[in-house]
Amino acid sequence: MSLVEIKDLTVHYPIRSGFWNRITDSVKAVDGISFNIEAGETYGLVGESGSGKSTTGKSVVGLEKVTSGSIMYKGKDITKKANRKSLDYNHDVQMIFQDSLSSLNPRKRIEDIIAEPLRNFEHLDKNEEKLRVLQLLDIVGLDADALYKYPHQFSGGQRQRIGVARAVATNPKLIIADEPVSALDLSVQAQVLNFMKKIQREFGISYLFISHDLGVVRHMCNNIAIMNNGRLVEIGTKDDIYNHPMHIYTKRLLAAIPETNVNNRAEHRAKRLKVEEIYREQKDKYYDKDGLAYPLVQITPTHSVALPEDLVDQLKHEGEVQA
Amino acid sequence: MEENLNRHSKISAADLERLSKEAQDEATPSSAKIIWSEFKADKPAMVALVIVIGFILFVMIASLFINTPKMMETDIMNYNASPGTNGFLLGADTGGRSVGQQLIVGARNSIGIAIGLTVISSTFGICWGLISGYFNGYIDWGMQRVYDFMMMLPMTMMIIVLVTIIKNYNAVTLTLIFSIFYWEGTSRLIRSRTLSESEKDYVAAAKTSGTSNFKIIFKEIMPNISSLIIVDTTLSFAENIGVETGLSYLGFGLPIQTPSLGTLIANANDPNNITQYWWTWLPAALLIIVLCLSISYIGQVVRRSADASQRHGIDA
Repeated sequence: MSLVEIKDLTVHYPIRSGFWNRITDSVKAVDGISFNIEAGETYGLVGESGSGKSTTGKSVVGLEKVTSGSIMYKGKDITKKANRKSLDYNHDVQMIFQDSLSSLNPRKRIEDIIAEPLRNFEHLDKNEEKLRVLQLLDIVGLDADALYKYPHQFSGGQRQRIGVARAVATNPKLIIADEPVSALDLSVQAQVLNFMKKIQREFGISYLFISHDLGVVRHMCNNIAIMNNGRLVEIGTKDDIYNHPMHIYTKRLLAAIPETNVNNRAEHRAKRLKVEEIYREQKDKYYDKDGLAYPLVQITPTHSVALPEDLVDQLKHEGEVQA
Repeated sequence: MEENLNRHSKISAADLERLSKEAQDEATPSSAKIIWSEFKADKPAMVALVIVIGFILFVMIASLFINTPKMMETDIMNYNASPGTNGFLLGADTGGRSVGQQLIVGARNSIGIAIGLTVISSTFGICWGLISGYFNGYIDWGMQRVYDFMMMLPMTMMIIVLVTIIKNYNAVTLTLIFSIFYWEGTSRLIRSRTLSESEKDYVAAAKTSGTSNFKIIFKEIMPNISSLIIVDTTLSFAENIGVETGLSYLGFGLPIQTPSLGTLIANANDPNNITQYWWTWLPAALLIIVLCLSISYIGQVVRRSADASQRHGIDA
C-alpha cells in the first residue's frame, strides 16, 4: 500500500459577483487529480506557475480546504479535520516552504522556531528539547550559536536549512517541499538539495517535491507528475518523462531546459522551435474543446498520459518509426 | 527519532551545557535591552520618559496626603488668591480652593481614567481585531457588522446621555462608559494588519506544526504587529487624557466635587479668569500639553526599537 493515496482531488475557489454577491463561477485550481506517494521515495510535481501544484501540496499537508476527492493516509481520509486530529497527522506530514524568510516567524528565536512542532507533538523536558534542537541544527550544518538568533540574521540558504530542520524535527514520514530552492541562487540550491537527500537517506522520509525546475526534479525524483491547468497531463518514472515524453506540454517543458553546450546552439534552437511549431499546429488535438487536458490513459505500467486513445496510438507508432 | 538523531549527529547530552553557553554568548539582545539602549541614544525621549514616570508617581503619591473634601470646601477669604499668597503656591480659584492641590488630585483622576480607558479599550480592540482578521469568513463578517453598528452611534452624545441617566457615577463607572465607545478605531487598525499577516507562510508553518489557533493569534501574529499596537496604544493614551478632560470641560465628565484637569481648564470659561486670573486654568493646560508631547516621544522610541532598520541605538 502506498504511503499517501490521492484520489480525484479537486480544489475550487468560488468567484462571487453581482449585486447579491452570489457564487457565479469557480476557479478550478486543482481539477480531479490522482496519484500515490510511496514510502521513502521522492515524488516530483512539476508545472508552470498557476498550474495548481502548490495548492495540491497544501491540500496534502492539510492547509487547504478540499472541494471533493480524498487523500488517504493510514486508511483514513485526511481531508476531514477530525481524522487529521485523531491521527496526529502533522506529526507525520510536514512542509518546507518556498520563501524561507516569511516562513520563519521574524519575532521568534531559532530555538523556538525549530522546537515548535516538538512542543506540540512530543512533550519533552527543557534539556531534552534543547538537545534535540542542537542535534537538528548540527544535521543541517548550522552551529550551536544559531540557537538564540533571529531569522533575519541568516542568509537565504541557512534559513532554508532551518526550515528543513523544523520540518524533520518530529521525524515525519512525508515532507511536502513547495519549491524549496527556487528562491536561492544556484550554488546554494545544490547545497540545500543535497542536505535534503542526505536527510532522506538517514531518516527514510518521502518527499512530495513541487517545482517548476525540471533540472532540479531530475536530480531529486524517481517518479514525476506533470501538471497543467489543474489537471495531470503525464505521470511516469524519471526515464518515462525525460526520455519518452508523450504530451506536447511535457515536451515543451523539457525543451525549456537550458543547454550549456554552446557548440550546438543552432541545433537546440531548431529543436525548440520545432516543438513550439507542433504545439501551435496541433494544440486542439492535445487538449479538449475547453482547452483542458484529457483523462489519463495508461501506456506502460508506470507511464500514463492525458491524451485520447487514437492520438496515443499514433504517437506510439511515430516513436517506433523514429527508433 | 531519538536513536536516529543520536546516530547521525555528533552532538550528545554531554555537550549540552557547553553548547548552550556558547549560544548564550552569541545571543541577540532581548527586546527590553534594545528599547533601553534606544532610550539612551535619544536624549529628548529620555527626558520625556523621566517626566512622565516621575509626574505620574508624584501625583499618585502626593494625592494620598491631600484631603479632597476639605480641599474642595469654599473659602471666601481666599477668593482668587494670586500665586504665592496665603500659602497657595499656585494661587486659588474663585471658590478660594488651592489650584496646586486641585492640580495634583485632578491629574491623578484624569491620568487614572486615561490609563484605565486605554487598558480596557485597547485590550478589547486588539483582541477584537486579531480574532476578526485571523478567522476571516463568517466570523469576520459578524464581528465587523457589530463594529459598524458601534461606529454608527454618535459617541459623544451617547456618553452625555449615559452620564445624565446614571445617578451616582464616579471615576470607575465613567471609565467603563468611555470604554464601550473607544475600542473601535484600534480594532479596525489591528484587523487590517492581521488580515495581511495571517496570509504569511509562518502562520501556515505554525498550523502544520500543530499550533492551536489561539496560540497562533496571540503568540505568532501579535508579536509581529507589536510596533503597530505600541504606537496605537501610546497615541490613544495621549488622546484619552483629552477625552475625559474634554467632557469634564463641557460639564459632563466627573462630578463637580471631584477635581480633574478638565474642570480646572473649564475655569477658562469665565472671561474674568482668562484675562486676570490666569493661574486658575493655565497650569492644567500646560500640564496636558507637556504630558501628551512626552508620551508621543516615548511612543516613537518604542516604535523605532521594534523595527531594526530605524534604530538609533548603537549596540542594538
